Amino acid sequence: MIEARGISKRYGEHVAVDDVSFEVTRGEVVGFLGPNGAGKTTTMRILTGFLPPTDGTALIDGHDMLTDPLQARRSVGYLPEMPPLYPEMDVEGYLRFVAAIKGLPRGARKQAVERTLARCGLLDVRRRVIGSLSKGYRQRVGLGQAIIHEPPVLILDEPTVGLDPVQIREIRALIASLAAPGPDGIQHTVILSTHILSEVEAICQRVILIHRGRKRLDAPLAQIVQGGQGLEAVFARETARDEATAPEAASA
Amino acid sequence: MRHVPTIASRELRSLFVSPVAYAVLTLFVLLAGFFFLSSLLQFEEYILRMQQFQYFDQMKELNLNDHVIAPFIGVMSVVLLFMIPGITMGLFASEKANHTDELLLTSPLTIWDIVLGKYLAAAAFVTLLVALLALYPGILLLYGDPEIEKTLAGLLGLWLVGLAYAGIGAFASSLTRNQIIAFAFSFVLLLVLWMLSFLADLGAAGGAIGSATGIADVLRWLSTAEHFERFVKGLVDTADLAYFGVLVASALVLTKFAVESVRWR
Ligand SMILES: Nc1ncnc2c1ncn2[C@@H]1O[C@H](COP(=O)(O)OP(=O)(O)OP(=O)(O)O)[C@@H](O)[C@H]1O
Ligand SMILES: [Mg+2]
Repeated sequence: MIEARGISKRYGEHVAVDDVSFEVTRGEVVGFLGPNGAGKTTTMRILTGFLPPTDGTALIDGHDMLTDPLQARRSVGYLPEMPPLYPEMDVEGYLRFVAAIKGLPRGARKQAVERTLARCGLLDVRRRVIGSLSKGYRQRVGLGQAIIHEPPVLILDEPTVGLDPVQIREIRALIASLAAPGPDGIQHTVILSTHILSEVEAICQRVILIHRGRKRLDAPLAQIVQGGQGLEAVFARETARDEATAPEAASA
Repeated sequence: MRHVPTIASRELRSLFVSPVAYAVLTLFVLLAGFFFLSSLLQFEEYILRMQQFQYFDQMKELNLNDHVIAPFIGVMSVVLLFMIPGITMGLFASEKANHTDELLLTSPLTIWDIVLGKYLAAAAFVTLLVALLALYPGILLLYGDPEIEKTLAGLLGLWLVGLAYAGIGAFASSLTRNQIIAFAFSFVLLLVLWMLSFLADLGAAGGAIGSATGIADVLRWLSTAEHFERFVKGLVDTADLAYFGVLVASALVLTKFAVESVRWR
């Protein structure tokens, strides 16, 4: 469903993402890990077609993001690091707008908005102006715009930031249910980045860890934590190993 | 391009909940009233004075079009120079500030959907401004007999000037995430475009480009003032219509490249 083929991104001299490849199959929930500045957001922006890669290519549901961008984008729901919201719009109006630009036919929009309001716990604030919502509610609206068109692929950049513990649990359950084969027959494929390792342990089947733009680890969660070592220990080991061996770290 | 109306209507709704739109509308209508009254009063005084001195021949030359409506439309075109950047400054800059550019550019939209939708919203606002303005010369129909065709030509010119300004304002907004910078930049662009014919005259007078009259002619042709004034005189010429068409089209093409370039930086 999602394929990254040798993706690199350079900002001038700085290499933010360095030859990253992976493949995610239908129904998988992948945790995308890495320390601050590792290149997670950059990689996700490339997968969603917001940024072009300097090298390599991204395929969504078989559609190349560079040569067939409209089809590829139709298949993605994307929650950016900063939720993309119009503060002056009300929640319902905003979701209706998103439903339209995502290409949902006119007749299906109302139902999609209702379903999304219910799923993201937004029914009580549907007429509120987005700018007046708390951070957690804005994050929920951001999640709503990512899932409203039932895209087969979801790319979520730190989806639970700013949520309260109850909400975190609900959103995690929502993400897990999206990936399960549902009654509607749509099974979503999810990549989510996070700094909360317990979140990965709770909902992901697989972990991709990048550090300094390079892929360091790509394995099923069960395999990583077998033998009793925690995800945290693995994370620390993988990111520390690089500090010691990377030539730029020595010269800096 | 089927998403153009979606983008345009969202933009208009956002515009009309913002204080900027109402500030611009109020200021515009008040300024228009002020300038209209003052040119009317001036006209009246002129007539009185001529009667006093019994210049009946000159009095025949006086008319509402040349002495009230034309100066009024002329001064309002200068007012638009300040107003339209206020309307267009947020078109693209605010998307970046809200991070909604990430939503638009990852949705199945073309860049033209976004650019044309936003331009259309700004153009609708300009149309509203000019329609409100048309009410003032409309009043004269009740009391006098201005030439309707000449008046309409002037209003058409003003509308075209407004549409061109909106295109240039959209371009300025696409270059930055800061609305104040977008405002300042479009104002400077518009001012330069407006003054090109003065520059040409100055240059010709100073001898700097006097020898190369070709340059002066080109500058004069590029100047919006030059084309606008012909409309105000009642001359509707395809060459002048084409000028505004080319201006809007170039501004939109530049805007499209600027929006697209986010992807390639
Ligand atoms: N527009 C940009 N121009 C220049 N450098 C950039 C730009 N965006 C990101 N970078 C750099 O690219 C690298 C990767 O950034 P990225 O935002 O992808 O990291 P991240 O893994 O998402 O980090 P975080 O966990 O803090 O969100 C960083 O070193 C960052 O400074
Ligand atoms: Mg990030």
